[in-house]
Amino acid sequence: MSVPKAVFSGRPATFAASSAVGGSAPAKTAGPPPAGGPAGGGPRRRRRRLLQSLEGWGFVGPALVIVLGLSIFPAVWAFFLSLQKWDGFSDPKFLGAGNYREMLADGELGGAVLHTVVYTVLFVPSSVLLGLFLAVALNRRIRFIGLYRTAIFVPFVASAAATGILTTYLFSPQFGLFNNILRVLNMPQQGWLEDPGQAMIVITIMSLWGQAAFTTVIYLAALQDVPGDLLEAARIDGASSWQTFWRVVFPQLAPVTVFVAIWQTIQAIQLFDLVYTTTRGGPLNATETIVYFLWQAAFKNLQFGYGSAVAYGLFGATLLITIGVVLYSRRTKMEAF
Amino acid sequence: MFSTPGTRSRRTRGILATAAATAALLALSACGSSSGVETLDESADVTITMWTGQEDSAQKYLEALADEFEQEHPNVKIDLSPGASSTEDLLQKLSAGFAGNNYPDISYAFGSWAGQLEASNRTLDITDQVADPAVKWDEFSPAARDTARPSGNKTIGFPAVVDNISLLYNKKLFDAAGVAYPTDEWTWDDFRAAAKQVSDPGQNIYGYAYSVSGSEETTWQFWPKFWQNGGEILNGDQTEATFNSKAGVDALAMLQGMAIDDKSVYLDQTDTKFGQLFASDRIGMITSGPWQLYDLGVAGTEYGVTQLPGTDGDHKTVSGADIWALFDHKDANKAHWAFEFTNWLTQAEQDEQWNVAYGNLPLRASEIDSPAFQEQAAKLPGLTVMAANAVNAEIARPTLPGYVGLSEAVGQAISEVLQGKGEPDAALDAAVEKANKALAED
Amino acid sequence: MSAPRALPVSTPAAGSDGSVPAPTAKPGRGRKRRLPFSAAHLLLLPVSLLFVLPFVQMFLTSVTPEAEINRFPPAFIPSHITFAGFEKLFAESDILRWTGNTVLVSAVAIISNIVLCSLAGYGFARLKFAGRDIGFLAILATIMIPTQLLMIPTYIMFSKLGLIDTLGAAMVPWLASTFGIFLMRQFFLSLPAELEEAAMIDGATRWQVFFRIIMPLAKPAIATLAIFTLLGSWNDLVWPLIAINNADAFTLQLGLSNFQGTRRTEWSLLMAGNVVATLPLILFFLFAQKQFIATMTFSGLKG
Repeated sequence: MSVPKAVFSGRPATFAASSAVGGSAPAKTAGPPPAGGPAGGGPRRRRRRLLQSLEGWGFVGPALVIVLGLSIFPAVWAFFLSLQKWDGFSDPKFLGAGNYREMLADGELGGAVLHTVVYTVLFVPSSVLLGLFLAVALNRRIRFIGLYRTAIFVPFVASAAATGILTTYLFSPQFGLFNNILRVLNMPQQGWLEDPGQAMIVITIMSLWGQAAFTTVIYLAALQDVPGDLLEAARIDGASSWQTFWRVVFPQLAPVTVFVAIWQTIQAIQLFDLVYTTTRGGPLNATETIVYFLWQAAFKNLQFGYGSAVAYGLFGATLLITIGVVLYSRRTKMEAF
Repeated sequence: MFSTPGTRSRRTRGILATAAATAALLALSACGSSSGVETLDESADVTITMWTGQEDSAQKYLEALADEFEQEHPNVKIDLSPGASSTEDLLQKLSAGFAGNNYPDISYAFGSWAGQLEASNRTLDITDQVADPAVKWDEFSPAARDTARPSGNKTIGFPAVVDNISLLYNKKLFDAAGVAYPTDEWTWDDFRAAAKQVSDPGQNIYGYAYSVSGSEETTWQFWPKFWQNGGEILNGDQTEATFNSKAGVDALAMLQGMAIDDKSVYLDQTDTKFGQLFASDRIGMITSGPWQLYDLGVAGTEYGVTQLPGTDGDHKTVSGADIWALFDHKDANKAHWAFEFTNWLTQAEQDEQWNVAYGNLPLRASEIDSPAFQEQAAKLPGLTVMAANAVNAEIARPTLPGYVGLSEAVGQAISEVLQGKGEPDAALDAAVEKANKALAED
Repeated sequence: MSAPRALPVSTPAAGSDGSVPAPTAKPGRGRKRRLPFSAAHLLLLPVSLLFVLPFVQMFLTSVTPEAEINRFPPAFIPSHITFAGFEKLFAESDILRWTGNTVLVSAVAIISNIVLCSLAGYGFARLKFAGRDIGFLAILATIMIPTQLLMIPTYIMFSKLGLIDTLGAAMVPWLASTFGIFLMRQFFLSLPAELEEAAMIDGATRWQVFFRIIMPLAKPAIATLAIFTLLGSWNDLVWPLIAINNADAFTLQLGLSNFQGTRRTEWSLLMAGNVVATLPLILFFLFAQKQFIATMTFSGLKG
């Protein structure tokens, strides 16, 4: 457990290329102002430290109790569940690692892993690129820019339920708008959510619709930090705007990109709501993701133990991926955390 | 590693934290055990919680009846709620409720769950009470009675809704294709030929529709043809699945032929859409039940109803008998009033104001001649055919706890075969293997 | 204590004047303009329309006669507009109660999040105390836990606490959030520490510094936190589905989910319900979006 600690909280989280406001701050946050003196010391020092600790916990304690009480505590509980066979109806039976062994041999779970990977591969790069693209497009002072921004950001407020209903509605093969347009244009009708080959793509499109605001805003913010003189210099060197962007601006955005990619990956790996409100895993399990699988195991088949075991497997995988990406980005000096 | 204070304070904190957590846990477990009343006091105030599993408009009828009951018995409060956003989700809510010791006194339950509910040991046993002639238990159909008594040992509740599936056909599409309407003499060959003739893929028109969601909707639609072929779902002592017999393979092969070769079947990924498509003249025939009629009326669809096609004159259908399951809270008053209310609710007089008023089939045979039902039948053409079709519901689906797992295995096999991802014999063999595992576990 | 307005340094609050991400990039880049307007319009206009389209469809469907919705071939626009869906919604469902419940849940969630996450964010950003790093790490690790994992234990826990079937079940999980703590911490890290040091030398305590100097500066971050908390708590569906059966405690999303029956769905009613459920969020967003974009710009959320 020492690795992630260093990774996440070893230093204040700011980019190397932080804004003018943020840039100077981290160095000053290291400690309470008038510390000093070597460690150790007499009872008075110890007392002061105790007071400091009390004060610190006074600030963070309430939120910490709630967040951890509603996650770590049930998560530990769920770990014990994952060692049992229990359907809520009858008495639990202890299995040890039995559920975990069963996981390895479960073909349907293998399918769910595959679908999750497919979705992640579809969603993460496209959401990063879309965010970047929209941010660059929106980052200018032209007429109606406020309207454009609002239009692109507003889907962010739509609930998963509303998004799901709209997806089924817009992509209905019989009555949906998109097939209707295709029909008018005399183009072949598509199965969309009812076609195992297209369903995941439709879900990706609607996720992008709802989530584009997130990556866009973050990139928009990061674009403000690109130093003007860099751009000026590039311009004087005669670079085209395309070149300027990829050679000068984009490298400045690298840390944001790492952050956004990790964040979106964690979101993508946990895809559930939109599947739940649209396809329920179908057609032919084509959209059954890991979290949907574990939901179904726990709440439809009432295998609470097995569902918890799968969730733990997912948690472990997410942790490994995150650590991997962070270590890699550190080595390549694109510090995101 | 960190500039933290000495180890002592850290250890002290650790101990404090552990103590606090333990105390919290103890407090949690302490307030969970509530003990109920042991001796019955009919005049004591009591609240009965009931999960109906009904959607908004159906709920209204039940609420009105509950109000009436409360007026007759002022000390009883009936706390009605749907329980879950769809009937299907009720099972999950019940299991979470059992886990958290927070479950209703009465809950709607699909017949297929009855075995699992009984196995939970949380149900009441009302066998002695329903023997009272005043309950008129024998007026319920045999299939419905069996569902409420899953293992044959305990009666865990009352029948709540009964229905069966019949053949509905869209007259407009049959006329357009120049095909004669289905009759009650039809065989499955007639059915298949008509479906093919009515289909017009270019126009998005299909002869028949089948749910491939893999749920119980997929599975139960399969049983009538299977039974007509002489198939048995389980072996004699109910320990092993036997639906991969020739009867099963033939039944599935016919559907496969229609879906893959004839392309005359609309494969519905949900359990609901084919009904809407039928209503809007996109599908020639569906096999469905009374719940469909109301929508057809709203949409103004021209339709007809007849019994299912037959095999050698055998027109068996499948019936769904859902139940009001009664749960034990170790409280004599609650048990008494849960029984009394459900008994009252399922008597003919009340059932006419609920099942009949809503457009379901009447629960008791005695209601068919009632003015209330006749009035509904006039509003919902075909309802009388469906009510009469009940005689074809000769066989009940198994009610043992493993049926849920069996149904899922069958549903998946059907769904794969109809979508071209498998062959009937291999798919059913695989499903039997899974089903046997589910049967062995419970 | 020192007045917060006499701030020596330019602060994030100064950036939230509404001029949204001030475009510093790309001044004139040797433009050879032929169009009388920026070429960006050619791109932004269709993209924006595409993004708005689903909402348009939602609204259109809510005013389409039910009989026209499942007609083939489908029409792009209804033959006439009817408010039957809305009338039915208000006449036959408990939408007002659901809205009231949801407003209550969200209001409690927002207030609690603002208070608790600001405190914790400040503690993690500025104070040094034993166990801080472990505490923060534990909080970050929670992002990776799939929430579905927690539902059964949480359900059992809540039912022992008597929260199941009450609005409390919907509220408690939103009292504080990992995201909020993270957001506020990032924001406070971006503030120069000199301010507080000066005030503390003047004899102010931490708490005084926090409430009188720090919190007033944190408005944009608080606005962002409020938006995220509002969206999350308002739109939460899966957990309330499990935890609340009692119709009196239904939230909007829960109530609407009952419109989609297993056997029939009334689209105009369902869409009308979703219009009613989404409209407040859109309005709130329009109202708060400047603050929102400003914080995302200035807080450390970008990293």
